[in-house]
Amino acid sequence: MIEKTLDAIVEEVKEMSPKLGSRAEFDSFKSTISGPKGKLTEVMKLMGKVPKEEKPAMGKKINEAKQLIQTSMDEANKRIEESELLSSLGPTIDPTLPSPDQAKGVLHPIAQVRDQVVELFQRIGFAVAEGTELETEYYCFDALNIAKDHPARDMQDSYFMPDATEMANVSKESDEKYLLRTHTSSVQIRTLLKEKPPIRIVAPGRCFRRDTPDATHSANFHQIEGLYVDKHVTLTDLKATLDYFVKMVFGESAKTRLRPSFFPFTEPSFEMDFYSPNLGKLSNQWLEIMGCGMVDPEVFKSVGLDINEYSGYAFGMGIERIAMILQGVDDIRYYYQNDIRFLRQFSD
Amino acid sequence: MKISYNWLKQYFKSEISSEAILDALPLIGFDVEETEVLGPPQMEHVVVGEVIEYEAHPNADRLRLCKVKTAEGEAQHSIICGAKNFKAGDRVMVALPGAVLPGNFKIKKSKLRGVESEGMLCSAKELNIGQDHDGIMVLDSSIALGTELNTLYSDTDIIFHLEVTPNRVDVLSHIGLARELVARFGGNVEIPNIQSDLPIVDSLESNAVLKSLKVEASDVCPEYSAICIESVQVGPSPDWLKQSLESVGLRSINNIVDITNYVLHEMGQPLHAFDSDKLSGQSLKIRHAKAGEKITTLDEKTHSLNESMVVIADDSKPVAIAGIMGSADAEVDERTQSIILESAYFHPSSVRKTARKLNLSTDSSYRFERGVDPKGVRYGIERACDLILELAGGTLIGKRVQIGSIDKTLESIEFSPEAMRTFIGFSVEDAEVQSVFESLNFKVDKNSDTHWSVSPPTYRKDVSRPVDLYEEFIRIYGTDKIPSKHIAADGINATDHPIYQFNDAVGAYMTGKSFNEAFLYTLRNEDEVAFFQGKEHADTLSLKLENPLQSDQSHLRNSLIPGLLDVLDLNLARQNLTSQFFERGRVFRMLEGQLVELISVGFIALGKDLERKWLDRGAFDFYSAKACTEDLFHLLPFKLKERAWTPIEASEFWQPKHSAQAGDLTKEGYEASIGLLNIKNIKERWGLSNPIFAGSILIQTELFEKELKRFRYQALSNQPASMKDLSLVVDHSVLASEVLKTIKGFIAQSIEGFACESVEVFDVYQGEGLEAGKKSFAVSMKFRAQDRTLKDKEVNTLFEAIQSAVLEQTNYQIRK
Repeated sequence: MIEKTLDAIVEEVKEMSPKLGSRAEFDSFKSTISGPKGKLTEVMKLMGKVPKEEKPAMGKKINEAKQLIQTSMDEANKRIEESELLSSLGPTIDPTLPSPDQAKGVLHPIAQVRDQVVELFQRIGFAVAEGTELETEYYCFDALNIAKDHPARDMQDSYFMPDATEMANVSKESDEKYLLRTHTSSVQIRTLLKEKPPIRIVAPGRCFRRDTPDATHSANFHQIEGLYVDKHVTLTDLKATLDYFVKMVFGESAKTRLRPSFFPFTEPSFEMDFYSPNLGKLSNQWLEIMGCGMVDPEVFKSVGLDINEYSGYAFGMGIERIAMILQGVDDIRYYYQNDIRFLRQFSD
Repeated sequence: MKISYNWLKQYFKSEISSEAILDALPLIGFDVEETEVLGPPQMEHVVVGEVIEYEAHPNADRLRLCKVKTAEGEAQHSIICGAKNFKAGDRVMVALPGAVLPGNFKIKKSKLRGVESEGMLCSAKELNIGQDHDGIMVLDSSIALGTELNTLYSDTDIIFHLEVTPNRVDVLSHIGLARELVARFGGNVEIPNIQSDLPIVDSLESNAVLKSLKVEASDVCPEYSAICIESVQVGPSPDWLKQSLESVGLRSINNIVDITNYVLHEMGQPLHAFDSDKLSGQSLKIRHAKAGEKITTLDEKTHSLNESMVVIADDSKPVAIAGIMGSADAEVDERTQSIILESAYFHPSSVRKTARKLNLSTDSSYRFERGVDPKGVRYGIERACDLILELAGGTLIGKRVQIGSIDKTLESIEFSPEAMRTFIGFSVEDAEVQSVFESLNFKVDKNSDTHWSVSPPTYRKDVSRPVDLYEEFIRIYGTDKIPSKHIAADGINATDHPIYQFNDAVGAYMTGKSFNEAFLYTLRNEDEVAFFQGKEHADTLSLKLENPLQSDQSHLRNSLIPGLLDVLDLNLARQNLTSQFFERGRVFRMLEGQLVELISVGFIALGKDLERKWLDRGAFDFYSAKACTEDLFHLLPFKLKERAWTPIEASEFWQPKHSAQAGDLTKEGYEASIGLLNIKNIKERWGLSNPIFAGSILIQTELFEKELKRFRYQALSNQPASMKDLSLVVDHSVLASEVLKTIKGFIAQSIEGFACESVEVFDVYQGEGLEAGKKSFAVSMKFRAQDRTLKDKEVNTLFEAIQSAVLEQTNYQIRK
């Protein structure tokens, strides 16, 4: 009798359990089997009436039935749990919809070119130095051998601060005026005064000239200054370094030339030109890219370095100019408008 | 500076082509900005013709219908012409159909107002022969009909526009450039010989032309030469002279003036000629100007002078500003009979200062202010004298007066070929070095193989040190011969400046947070800078430049935010719905009466993304701005104490109570402001009506000198943590930071044997169930012991102690 009932219950569970579709159905079916008034519970209650000698066999039988029921119910439970998890996931995705998250931002194209140039020099042992945008005449001019009556010293070319200006974090040599630096070369002097050779630095930064803005002039612009001072630095080292730079930026096919020029703080002085076959409209012509030269002995004297012991080279380039050549931009003012469509053109 | 190729060839006689010269010039230091071809290019079908007769155009009064022949016989062409400067029988240049004029102007038969024209009568400018465009060219009647233009005008010239660096005044003349070409290509400079053999005297013997000559300002004028010439025939210059001057952009005036200009461009010495009859007292004195003295120069401008300026004056008035320009009063013109020719050395800085002050730059001042060749003072006046006697006749009166004498000795430079080889880094033969120096007219005396004395000529004052000789060597030897080399980059103990490291990290972080970088001008307008503190505020005044160029760029910026608002405004106006921008840059502030340059990062974000999206992602709010700002502080390469944020209670720029501030530039070296920008003012000023959140941090440069962060391992406990939550009801005005500080204090008083890992606010509530004016903070505390599992009892004891402290020592209520 009991055996038959047990078999029937097992059969029922085996048949019903795969059909249970929800947690509620599962629970209610489970209670018809193992609940307080469930069929299995009822059968268990009959155990007491089973004769003693039959109990072990009957017990075994019940256990087997329980096992079978449990296995079926576990399977059903697992299946229902999985479907519950799935239904908690919400609707399926459409991979072709755009993400509503904001895309990553972009670095300014001038910053990108600056970083690229700085990185190339870091790779050959240059460290980045910083200077201030407000400088004094001494560090911007005198110490760089730019004499008092040099045209660069004219009020027409630089933005000056009133005589009464006092600055907390930019030191003066004596009672000279403050001005917005016209080049990053002032960092040469500050560094040479602070550190001992060997010195190998690049100093990127903002500069100012009192020019009427047009397609190639902007009220402020950026330069990168380079300086290497040590024993036995030669003109050949200067050429090697700048050749490396040009080839890394403009490709192996780029050619360079050093055109003799004049800067008060280098002697000899050169303009470096390069020539590239793949620069769009600017292909196959010599383009001026930077000023450079061997540090003038007057500069060493102004920072107290022995000109018989040390030599060095320096170079300075306009970041906007390089960016315009590289990016094919024909008006410097676009860089300062910051139209996002423009900014995004130089980033993926 | 303009150099005429034809003129140059008089001194540099060589087979070198103009193309080879053009290629070589930049490589020896003279950049060619532009070249210009003067004279007609090769043109066919442009021939000499004759206007037989003309009549008015039937349909246009201003045009003439001309019958023209270009070969003997009847009229062959009917040509319409707009010019009126010709008459029947005049010979003219005719461009016939098929001709192509400069500028790719093709001539063909065409109808003009209904009448056919079979060509064009040409002006000088149309044929690139001269500047004249007022009418057509009318030629000499002896020129044969049908003569081709290129037969008639066979001379073409090439004009080089040279960029000469300020150290090379010696090249500001045709002979000067010829010397450089000789150094580069070899050969000799052919310098015109002086014909008149004039004796020199050191003071004037009064004569019919000049009664008195004195140099008072010998400080500025160490050498002054004058020659008197009488009975000159002032008139037009011969064609070759006119052409030479026109080729370098000068106008021909008369033979005397033209000769002084010619000599300047030939050899570099500025000269001047005075009409002696126009000089009051027939006297000249070189003296300092009197304050307020006036002079009207040849360009018809009147200048007021001061005592620092030097003039050439007669008995009553200045007749020239020394080294710059003469006055109209003593000008040489067609009535002039006697002249005084002047050549002098004026000190560069004096001429420069005067020229700058008067805003008057001339060919003459340009050369004097760079320092002319001391030897050229004499050669220049003698050369001009020769040309005057040849072209204008006249008689020399007296001798050449020379007052004062400038030093003309050659300075020698000690030079070691070995030291130069070390400097340039490659090997070169002594003989090669010597030959370069000699090609430049540098005198080489070899004291020994290793010690040379090198003396540059007087016109090379810029060469005075060994390193200048190295430069001259490499310039002429050729920079293309510097060998290629691998970079020698041995390690140097140096790191990138912490400011750079910080900015680098900020760029990566902000772009990762969807902010786009903008670059803005440092110079801003007064209104914007005053936005923070008002126009008359001492800080606004202190940020003003002494010499702004434009009123919208008159002040140093004191914040990055206004510029970013301009960017947002521009983008929104262009329907670019981007809402987040940042900038890294320097800003300027006044601190305790001193200006400081500060490192700054600023960002702005629209509270609501304007772009419509299919799924909403929530707004950017105060707490988003705070997260960004806190992260930025954590990017600093040095450690900073935790920020104490306080609400901004009043501001024109920030929205009070929706913005906050931390730090103090003076005391802590940094300052940060974050939150909502003042809604009313931002709308008024920028017209931006959406809520805009912003953040700005300012850091003193000196903070970056601090010791850099180092990170050290601290042992972790593997024991489980125990958490307690406490809900406190406080007045609405109480800040979370105050509650946390209080609780932390109570914990510190009672904790024993284990540690408190964190105390944090995890819920804030106000509204139903709370008294008006109150809010509740739910605070979570986490405890842990280093060596064991915490027992409930010990944690509970601590928790009770905290609660009793709250009840006894604060007016917070504990919410159950």
